[in-house]
This record gives sequence, structure tokens and C-alpha cells, in this order.
Amino acid sequence: MAQRTSLNRITPYMFVAPAALVMILALFYPISYMIWGSFRDWDPSQSLSETEFVGLANYAKLLVDPAFHASFWVTMIFAFTVVTVEMILGVGLALLLDRNIRGMSVLRTLFILPMMIAPVVVGLVWRYMYHQTYGTFNRFLESIGLEGVNWLGQNPLLSVIMADIWQWTPFIFILSLAALQSLPKSALEAARIDGATGWQQIIYIKLPLMMPVLIVTMLLRLIDAFKVLEVILVLTGGGPGLSTEILALRIARTAREFRELGEAAAMSNYLLMLLMVLTLGMFAFTRWQEARARRLKFAAQEEG
Amino acid sequence: MLKLLTSTTFIAGVALTSAAYADGHAEGPYAAYEGTTLIVNFPSHPHYNAVLEVLPQFTEETGINVEVDMLPYLDMRERQTLELSLDEGAYDMIAYVVFSKADYVYADQIYNLAPFFMNPRLADPNYDAGDLIDGYVQNIGVAGGEKGYLPGPTGSLYGLPFGSETSVMYYRTDVFEELGLEPAADYDTLLEQACAIPEAMPGMGGVASRAASGHQASHAFLLHLAPLGGRVFDAAWNPIINSAEGVAAAEALKTIVDCGPEGSSAFGPSEAANAFAQGQAAMFIDSIAFAAGFEDESRSTVAGNVGWAAHPAGTRAASQTGGFGIAIPRNAENPEAAFLLAQWLTSKEGDLAVAMAGGNPSRFSTYENAELNAKYPWSASFGEALADADPDWRPIIPPWGRINADIGTTMSQVLTEGLDIQEALDGIAERTQTLMAEEGYYTWQQ
Repeated sequence: MAQRTSLNRITPYMFVAPAALVMILALFYPISYMIWGSFRDWDPSQSLSETEFVGLANYAKLLVDPAFHASFWVTMIFAFTVVTVEMILGVGLALLLDRNIRGMSVLRTLFILPMMIAPVVVGLVWRYMYHQTYGTFNRFLESIGLEGVNWLGQNPLLSVIMADIWQWTPFIFILSLAALQSLPKSALEAARIDGATGWQQIIYIKLPLMMPVLIVTMLLRLIDAFKVLEVILVLTGGGPGLSTEILALRIARTAREFRELGEAAAMSNYLLMLLMVLTLGMFAFTRWQEARARRLKFAAQEEG
Repeated sequence: MLKLLTSTTFIAGVALTSAAYADGHAEGPYAAYEGTTLIVNFPSHPHYNAVLEVLPQFTEETGINVEVDMLPYLDMRERQTLELSLDEGAYDMIAYVVFSKADYVYADQIYNLAPFFMNPRLADPNYDAGDLIDGYVQNIGVAGGEKGYLPGPTGSLYGLPFGSETSVMYYRTDVFEELGLEPAADYDTLLEQACAIPEAMPGMGGVASRAASGHQASHAFLLHLAPLGGRVFDAAWNPIINSAEGVAAAEALKTIVDCGPEGSSAFGPSEAANAFAQGQAAMFIDSIAFAAGFEDESRSTVAGNVGWAAHPAGTRAASQTGGFGIAIPRNAENPEAAFLLAQWLTSKEGDLAVAMAGGNPSRFSTYENAELNAKYPWSASFGEALADADPDWRPIIPPWGRINADIGTTMSQVLTEGLDIQEALDGIAERTQTLMAEEGYYTWQQ
């Protein structure tokens, strides 16, 4: 009997075991390897066991490294700018196109095309469009009598931001549209009966109801924007100077060009910590919002 | 059963041997390696595309098969680093970019070639190593001598130059004729022409140059540093990049980029070459590897109007040396057969065959070959330019990747953000000094 009870107790763990094993092998092992590597002076020609333990030296070095600081700020400016603009454009487009128009499905597919293109191709296409003499933008500017702009030379960060916005606004658009279309019709109908204008419906009904989806979408985009690499690598290679060298690119260069795997691992851990803080912050915010909604509902019920 | 097995093996052996005799290469140096398959790692590069055309000839002559793993040249090092650190690597031979030499030798990952050249069964007595271009051998093949990466009494050979390059100046004969100019032999004239031509011919840039942030900007700066008399380090590893010569080199690069074709500051080598090929620049100073492309009418609008001259001299004539060498990894499965391939490819016959297929010669005799000159008329001038090839134009030491990136990003700031040249070079020197101290280069000075 006792044996049976203990078997019963083990059963759930046995069911979980395969998944847990996969998690340990595929997720925790590489992360632990990276964390362990970040405490070592590690040249790619050496195996990890041959390397020298240097404690927190890699982390300390990065804290006073001006190139790392530059990279950090470029990443922050890039990530927050693209996500803000993409959210405004994506949600705006979704609100505009949330109606029964003929050929809507074709239009929707067209809108999400940029997202489906491989990032390297996006980089190459935009690099060509920004070209000083042959580029589409400068040819257009010249055709209307304006002077050409040295896109990648004088406005590199803006150029990179524009390419990213073009590629990733559709992601926000498609998720926002899905959220909009699954909103409870009753709330909107009630608002209409009460005489709410279009704007009022958007601000007081649609946006608050979409908020949970929007927050997750924003978080996903933000995490992605912190890690973007290929488009910038192809477009500017991080230059001129360090003006577009975002953290992911700096990590890649530290590992490949400078051959400092320990430092690259430490930098990756800083990035990981930053993203963890952002993610936890977002979750805390959603929790707080949910709790507030519950409180309000409870208060309303009390009054009722 | 054992008897049957033995006789079967014997019969199979006889069959193989007679087949080999029938092919005509059962005896001689290659016999022992017949049927071996070598796996080699080559970059995707015009020279190695030419090698692919010649490899069947090697297999036919020797019975050794070659399988080629081709990669973009900037990705090669990553793959090689991985393969070379394994107990059993995938490659019998690798082509390496010149600046990988330091890393591979330092990590003891490639063979010293002395034991192969000492082995009478392997070394071809007619190899004529004296005919190999000396600057290339020193720069690409030798390590352990002066400063660690140069030749000297303690240096020895780890690789053979194959697909090596130097810099020359390409110029538009029609433009120079129209303006009554002669191609510059010195830097003063070069810089004067670089800005005078765009003034005389609006829309035409002076010199097309690489300048994109990172490796390209650093390469472009170093290209002018050596001829203008500068070096990155002095004999005691102190950075002297911020000397007057360093400033002159950075000023030269800035002048060239400012007076160059539009958008120059973001150019990589292929974009700079393309600008010249499309008639947007009157001059182009870069690798000899671009020559054939400029004469290809399907890709170039200036074919027939391109002249070649030596890299202009400043206080000295010093063109760059770079490109590729071939080496045998320590974990190769067939090192001896790989050596035979390396020796064959860089022999007089092999080198000529590759050059005729469009590759870069590694031998003086190939450059002088009449047949080659008839096919590629620039060969003789390039051969002459090689006499000034400078093996020390760029230090090849393990921390170079980091210093190179620093020079490249800072130089890019000079070119695009107007950073003061002296201040920029002082910054590089200071950071390099700290790095060199960390790496132990001043241990013996304490």
C-alpha cells in the first residue's frame, strides 16, 4: 500500500521528466556554459577546460570600456525608438483596417510581407536603396529637385531605424488586428448605444481591452530589438565609427574579430540581465493592472 | 577462411597495383598516396576559383583526390578555429587569411613545414623555392623570427603563399590623357590629382578607396601608412601610430575619401572597385586581384581604358602584402599527401596553371611567363611592383584583431564625424599600449 502511494507520488514527476531533461540539455546547459565562460579568459582556440579563471574581470573591464558604453546607448536608443514608432504605426494601422473592406485578406498578406523576408535580404535591399548614387531614395530626391542625402554616412542610425520599422511594424499590426477582432462586441455596441464617438471608442474601450495583448507584443518586439543583428551587419557593419554598433553586433565582433570569448559571454550576460529586468518589469506591470481591475470590480460589486 | 581472406586481399592488391601501373603513376613520390582523398578548406575567391579548374589535373597526375569545402573568406577563420581545436579535424589542408597565421602558429595548430621539406620522399628537388616571391613567403609563410611574425634567424616556415596579393594603382588612361596627366609615382602628386580631377571633371571621383567602418577603414589607413614612412609599433612594441607619419597617412586617407566618389565613406573593397569599374573614379589603389574584373566588359564600363602603375611611393615604396597561404593542420588525417598537394600547387607548373586560369601567381617566373603576359597584359607590371612589397606593413600578432578594429572604427569617425586626426591617433595609441601591456609585450622591459 505504502509502495503504491509512493509510486503515485512519483508518477507526475515521471511524466514531467522527459520535458525537464530536454529543458536541462537544450536551455540550462548552454546558459550555464556561457555563464561559466564569462568568468574565464577564453580564446576560441582553447577548450573551456584549458582557460584561465579570471573571476569578474571580464565584467569589470566592460564597465569601464567606452566602446561597450557607446554600444549600450546605441542599443537603448535603437530599441526604444523602433518599438515606440512601430507600436504607434502598427496599432494605428490595425485600427484603420479593422473593418470589412473588399480584398482585405490580400491587403493583410501584403502588409505582413516585409516580416517574411530574410533579414540579410532586407539589409541588402535597404543598403541598395540608400546607395548614394544608384539608391532609390536619392534618385527620388533628385527627381524632385532636392539634394541627395548621405544616408549611411551621415545618418546611419536613422537609416537603420527606418529599415527596422519597415520590417517589423507588420508584426505589431497583425497581432493588434487579431486582438481588435476578438474584442467583445457587446462592449462596443453598448458604447455606440451610449453615443460614444469613434475616438472615444478607441481610447476608452478598444485600447484598454487590447492592452494585455499590446503589452506582450511590445515585450516581444523589445526583446527582439535588443538582439537584432543581421540587418545592421549588412547595412552598416556597425559604422561609421561605433554609431550603429548595437550590443548584439559588439558581442559577435568580440567573439569573432577580437577572439575574446570570455568577454563576449560577459557581454551576453549583461544583455540577458537587462532583458530579464525588462521582462519581469512588464510582468509586474500586468500583475499590478490585473489586481487593480479586480479591486475596481470588487469595489463596484460592493457598491452594487 | 583465413587463407581465402588472405588470397582475396592479395588479388585485390594485385588488381589495384596493376590498375595503378596502367595509369602510369604507381611509382614515384605519389604512389604511396594514390586513392587518398584530401579534404581542403578554400575561400570563395577568384584565385581559388581558378584552383578548382586546375585540381583535376593534380588528381590525374597523382591519383590523389581532392574534396574542396569552400567558404566566404571572412567566415573561414571561425570554421577553422573550430576544426583545428578538435582531436581529429575535418581538413587535411587549409587556406588561411594572412592575419590568421599568428593565431594558428601560436596555438600550435599547423605543421612546421621543415620536416616535410627534409623528407627526400616528399620534397621535390626541382621545387626552386628561391623563385617564390620573397615578400609573400616572409609575410604569409614564416613565423617565429623578428617580432615573432617576421622572418629572421629564429623563424621557420609554416605555410606557403598561395593566392597572395599586393597593392597597385589602377588609373583611367582616357581620363589621364584628356587632362594631360601622368600616373602619380609619389604621394604628393597622388593627393593633388585626387582632388584636381573631380574639379576638372564634375561627377568623377579622384581615387576610389575602401573606408567602411572596421577592417576596411583600417586596411585603407595602413595602405598609406607604410609608404609614408610610418609603422603601428616601434621595435619595442610601443605604439607609434600617432607619429607625424601616422597623421600624414590619416590625412591622405581623408583627402582621398573626401575627393572620392560619392558615398565613399561606406565603401567596402567590392563597392570601391565597382565605383571604379562604373567610371565614377579616375584611380583605384587596391589589390591586384581586381585587374581581371576591370577588363570584363559585362561588369565594367571602363574595359580597355585601365592602366596599371606601382603603388605610389611616399618616403619609401611599400605596397601591401596580403591574401592567402596554405598550411597543413596538426590534426590532419593525411598530412604527407596534403604536403604533396601544397607543393604541387605552388610548383612552377602548378603556379602557372593556376595563373593561366585567372589566379594570382606566387612565383617570379610565372609573372615573367610570355604566355601569361599575352593573356593577362598586366602581369609583368604586377611582377615588378612586387619587388616593393612590404611584409611588415601590418603587424601580425595575436592581439591584432582588436587593434585593427579600434583603428578601423576610430578612422571611420575621422572620416565621417570629423574627429581630430591627432586626437584620434593618440586615443588608438593609448588603448593599444594598455592592451599590449595586458598581453605581456612589455614583460621584458620591466
